[in-house]
Amino acid sequence: MDRKISYETKGLNLFVRELSAFFMGVVKNNFTLEFFTVFMPIMILWETLPWLGVVSPFLVPPPSVVAVTFWDLLVNHDLLGHVLISMLRFLLGLSIAILTAVPIGIFMGWNLLIRKHVLPLFQMLAPIPPPAWVPITIILLGIGLPMQVFLVFLGVFYPVLFDTYQGIKDTDPRYIASARVFGASELTLIKKVYLPNALSFIVMGIKIGIALGLVMLVVSEMVGAYSGIGWLLVESKDFFRIDRMVVCMLMLGFIGWFFIEIMKYIESRLAIWKVGR
Amino acid sequence: MIEAVRITKFFPVTNSQGNAEGNTAVLSVSLKIEDGEFVAIIGPSGCGKSTFLEILAGLQVPTEGEVYIDGKRVLEPLPSTRKEIEIYERKYRFLSPVVNDLLKDIPKFDTTTIFQDYAIFPWMSALENVLFALKVRGIPKKEAISVARKYLDMVGLNGAENKYPSQLSGGMRQRVALARALSVEPKIILMDEPFAAVDAMSRQKLQEDLINVWQKTRKTIVFVTHDIDEAVYLADRILVFSSSPGTIRNIIDVKLNRPRNRFGREEQMLKERIMQIFKFDATGEAMDYVI
Repeated sequence: MDRKISYETKGLNLFVRELSAFFMGVVKNNFTLEFFTVFMPIMILWETLPWLGVVSPFLVPPPSVVAVTFWDLLVNHDLLGHVLISMLRFLLGLSIAILTAVPIGIFMGWNLLIRKHVLPLFQMLAPIPPPAWVPITIILLGIGLPMQVFLVFLGVFYPVLFDTYQGIKDTDPRYIASARVFGASELTLIKKVYLPNALSFIVMGIKIGIALGLVMLVVSEMVGAYSGIGWLLVESKDFFRIDRMVVCMLMLGFIGWFFIEIMKYIESRLAIWKVGR
Repeated sequence: MIEAVRITKFFPVTNSQGNAEGNTAVLSVSLKIEDGEFVAIIGPSGCGKSTFLEILAGLQVPTEGEVYIDGKRVLEPLPSTRKEIEIYERKYRFLSPVVNDLLKDIPKFDTTTIFQDYAIFPWMSALENVLFALKVRGIPKKEAISVARKYLDMVGLNGAENKYPSQLSGGMRQRVALARALSVEPKIILMDEPFAAVDAMSRQKLQEDLINVWQKTRKTIVFVTHDIDEAVYLADRILVFSSSPGTIRNIIDVKLNRPRNRFGREEQMLKERIMQIFKFDATGEAMDYVI
């Protein structure tokens, strides 16, 4: 039977289709029966142990208390606002880092002369742990958005840069030669040969960058902000509200997980040719 | 016309002690290939025939010697004196000499090469691989699609256009490479064991197709192979390479009528003769008649 299935290829309908495909994929890939066999016992233990008095409920708030605190924070303490301002800082830092690191990585991997000029510099700066930049950044940029964005940027930049560089440099010379025999220019080579080859490396670098960027977001908000989840975390520590701290930690974990799921989805859409390998 | 003048290729390898050692892959090969000629290069594996082909294609710089295509030099020879080396390095410090152009897709010569390990892009489907080559040659998209389909059909890949190389068998991947090279209709095609990975049945079909295309369009074809039957069936002229270092050992003109008979008497005698050459090189056993 010859049945034609047509898909939306543009506009809002495409967006809705992609969005639903993304969420269906997230649910299907993560919330499996196998996962719940591990997840449910942990939740039950977490809930019952404090009630049974094995651990102090004051030190280990059970999930029910955490849920109530979450609702309280959301309604009375503007949790959403804190999350949004944190996201703004994080996304700004992340996008600036990706937009600079990917091109520099491409040029470094593509051309030996450019590599010779800039690679040693990055290799010397990269081992400095990003949190070590905090004091000097606060002095130079003051407390505020530029400083937080810069610190997130520092966390994301190096993993993305080095993974992009590696992916471009490791392109099989056979592919390059086979494009050159047809007369492909270097620009075509970068677009059609180097980049598709390095794509999974770049996505991998961005995933690592997201994790490190979240670290830097929390660090920057802990020492230099009056809003955001990192600030809320330190506030909760000062008032000894362990339940609020747990809510903040879970929020951060959720944000990181969500971003990495987005990256996975983007990779699966851009590298269709890898499906079925 | 392709003209190779005393091509020598030398590169370092590691020996059993792990030390660097010189290895001459190709030694002083001179050769003239006329327009429309079908030349086969045959030799044992590792005799430098693939290296020689890459030098002809301008993908490797020969240590010594020069290649001319229609009188135009393919690559500048490597410098020898210190001053020349300085000038050479300054000239090519940003882009290597094998690069075509920075921004514009312009082939240096009207040639294409097919590699033995079918270097088609795994991130493009069969059709996209062919379209890539056509786009680089500046053929408008609408026309390109029909040309690409025509050549994919010719190599027997209709129905597999939208498959990615990972979903194709080795032989089919090689056919994509063949379609890609033929589709741009170059004047010179350099082939590096193109049918080595294809099954015997399709190989005969592809050989016949290649001969048909060649007889119709009279392209110059340089065909590297280790299959004696293939060389005798296809070529006007067979260059027999000897191994380490690779040099031309014999040049055999094949003056047989086309279409050739794979099992014809004269063809068999020719095959026997080439076989004896290789046997003599390998074992030193002379045969009872003179080559």
